[in-house]
Amino acid sequence: MSAKVHVDKISAWYGPKLAIQDISLDFEEHSVSGIIGPSGCGKSTLIRCLNRMHETIPKARVEGQVLLDGQDIYGQPAVSVRRRIGMVFQKPNPFPTMSIYDNVAAGLRLNGVRERKKLDQAVLESLKQAALWDEVKDSLDKSGASLSGGQQQRLCIARALAVKPEVLLMDEPCSALDPIATAKIEDLIFDLKKDYTLVIVTHNMQQAARVAETTAFMYLGKLIEVGRTRELFERPGETLTESYITGRFG
Amino acid sequence: MPQAAERKALATGLQKLNENMLTLAELSELAVRKAVDGLTRFDLETANEVFTLDQEVYGLQLEIERNCIDLLALHAPVARDLRTITTSLKITTDLDRIGRYGKDLAELTLQFRDKPVVDRGDVARIREMADRTISMVDTAIDAFVRRNAETVRNMIEVDDAVDQLHDENFRDLVRRMSEGQLSIETGARYLLVNRYFERIADHAVNIGLRVVYMVTGDWLPRIRAADRAKRHDGTKEKGAT
Amino acid sequence: MRFLFDRDTRRRWFDVIMSGATLLCVALALLPLGSILFEALVRGAPALTPTFLTQSSLMGGIANAIQGTVVLIGLTALVALPVGILTGIYLSEYGKNRLGGIVRLFVDVMTQTPSIVVGIFAYSFIFELSLLGFFPPPLVFSVISAVIALATIMIPIVARTSEEALRLVPTSAREAALALGIPRYRAILRVVLPSCASALVTGALLGIARVGGETAPLIMTAAWNNDFFNGLNQPIAALPTQVYRFAVSPSLAENRAAWGASLILVLLMLSISIASRAVIRMRAVRR
Repeated sequence: MSAKVHVDKISAWYGPKLAIQDISLDFEEHSVSGIIGPSGCGKSTLIRCLNRMHETIPKARVEGQVLLDGQDIYGQPAVSVRRRIGMVFQKPNPFPTMSIYDNVAAGLRLNGVRERKKLDQAVLESLKQAALWDEVKDSLDKSGASLSGGQQQRLCIARALAVKPEVLLMDEPCSALDPIATAKIEDLIFDLKKDYTLVIVTHNMQQAARVAETTAFMYLGKLIEVGRTRELFERPGETLTESYITGRFG
Repeated sequence: MPQAAERKALATGLQKLNENMLTLAELSELAVRKAVDGLTRFDLETANEVFTLDQEVYGLQLEIERNCIDLLALHAPVARDLRTITTSLKITTDLDRIGRYGKDLAELTLQFRDKPVVDRGDVARIREMADRTISMVDTAIDAFVRRNAETVRNMIEVDDAVDQLHDENFRDLVRRMSEGQLSIETGARYLLVNRYFERIADHAVNIGLRVVYMVTGDWLPRIRAADRAKRHDGTKEKGAT
Repeated sequence: MRFLFDRDTRRRWFDVIMSGATLLCVALALLPLGSILFEALVRGAPALTPTFLTQSSLMGGIANAIQGTVVLIGLTALVALPVGILTGIYLSEYGKNRLGGIVRLFVDVMTQTPSIVVGIFAYSFIFELSLLGFFPPPLVFSVISAVIALATIMIPIVARTSEEALRLVPTSAREAALALGIPRYRAILRVVLPSCASALVTGALLGIARVGGETAPLIMTAAWNNDFFNGLNQPIAALPTQVYRFAVSPSLAENRAAWGASLILVLLMLSISIASRAVIRMRAVRR
């Protein structure tokens, strides 16, 4: 196992407000890394720095380095970074005007792929990878918005997978879903880790415990502790971590 | 740190668990003490009380086990909470065992009826074995109650001393039996008594090690196998790690 | 009076009263609209004869005015929609800075500028240009001049409504597209704009309706023409100016014709609105 993504002293601001401070962290290849912490601790900001989504917010600023396979992503075009580091968001956000097929194909199409065969292939593969194919194979021309919440989120995962990223960032991917849909997404995460490097931000500590191999705990914009998930939940090193994960926290 | 949440339901459950654990520990220790009393003073009545205590221990152990399962299922505890509950779950077995050895000792007392302990030396030896093991159990329970790992870290060494004593007694009994100073039947019972105390001490060590895990999260190696193997040339089977 | 103290009864009555009040307000708001349609229909319908609809105003018809309005609306939309929508895109997607604030202020001021002032602006603008030798003088009263005036009115309306429409598209849609490595401009064109197509069309219709009914700036720019469209540099007839001319005419027949022209104008706007909404609905993805 080697570090696929190496975060080196990243700090990020929203205007004058410092959101995360001096965070250094490694994400291993073909594994799931969880990031937990209370609301506003900067965990979403951190993963948005990993694919340069942070800077899409007006007045947002980043300092530090993020190395993907040893190369600083801040020295490359944002667009190509995002093709290699995909993202799934908290609320399922399929493109409302597009069909299921078009949603999955969007990433390729809008990046210039025209060949129908290639698109068909990618849509099939991604939907299968996202464990959605069997449920939608007869209604690919239906609107993505017609699916249930859990299906929409898997559609979004398929859409992200279609551009063949190497890293997949998930920002609280299950917080809008019911337990069954959540379990399906978690199964999916388990399957995906053999091909991808996954980073998942979650409010649900049990979810991190279930899916992640390593877990990082953040508080007030700082990285408090990072370690093997088992260790972190059985014998955390920091008192702050302990009081957070045991729920004795404001 | 922001104002702390209390997690009242879990806290109440943990408190109840702690109280039950205390009672259980007291009951099983009492069972052993009474058994020793009965044995050394050849007091059949006291020995009989032990049977009731053992029943109570068993019942309470079951209740604690169920409580622990409930807490695990309902609160998905982590970190210290998780370690407290799982440790309790494991320790109850040790405490139940200790209570059971108390019962076994009481049974032996009843069997000694026609051949009471006469040799003062034997009584003294039983006393010594009993004192050492009971103090180990005491230390372990105290560590659990106080959530203090320091007093139990050297438990293995204390246990070594008990083991040594056990071995000495064993050799002495075997010698006297072979020389005909002791009837085979009485000698065999003494051997059992000797053995029960040694086992109780082992359970005390278990409890101690689990308390260390509960408090610090560290797993101490239970047995330094190499050292042990040398010292106890195969007279005991507990060497499995 | 026991029922007064019965909470449930009181609440039920309050509910009935408030529902009634809202219905009443709806009726009040719709009354003028109904009245206009009714008046236009009753008074205008008799004037609608085949001749009236097919002849130019030279022959007492309004065909040239209908054509003029269609030409003016078409050309104005051609100029104002791209400019307005692009301005809206700028304001919504890129304008979260000082320049954006200034542009927004200007757009707001322009929206509130009286149309007669816009007419004078277009008039003098063309006049100045012709003084500088850009156009021959007769251009002052021309289709070009009218389109400049109408576009000046329509652009800020379209810009503001497009900005609002674009803002309604959730940030999550933009982020979804950006996170796929899609360049920003393409994300806006292919994801954001389609998501708010119907709101954009509504904005465009608002602008077209406004422009289609404008009279004052046309008097200053398009002037009149009793004939059909005969060149971009020539004056042109339009329904509103035609209504005005018919209405102020001493002839009773022409006064009646004014009602007929009004009715046509209303129907024209109505059909544009219905047609474009139908188009949007047809394009929507099957649910």
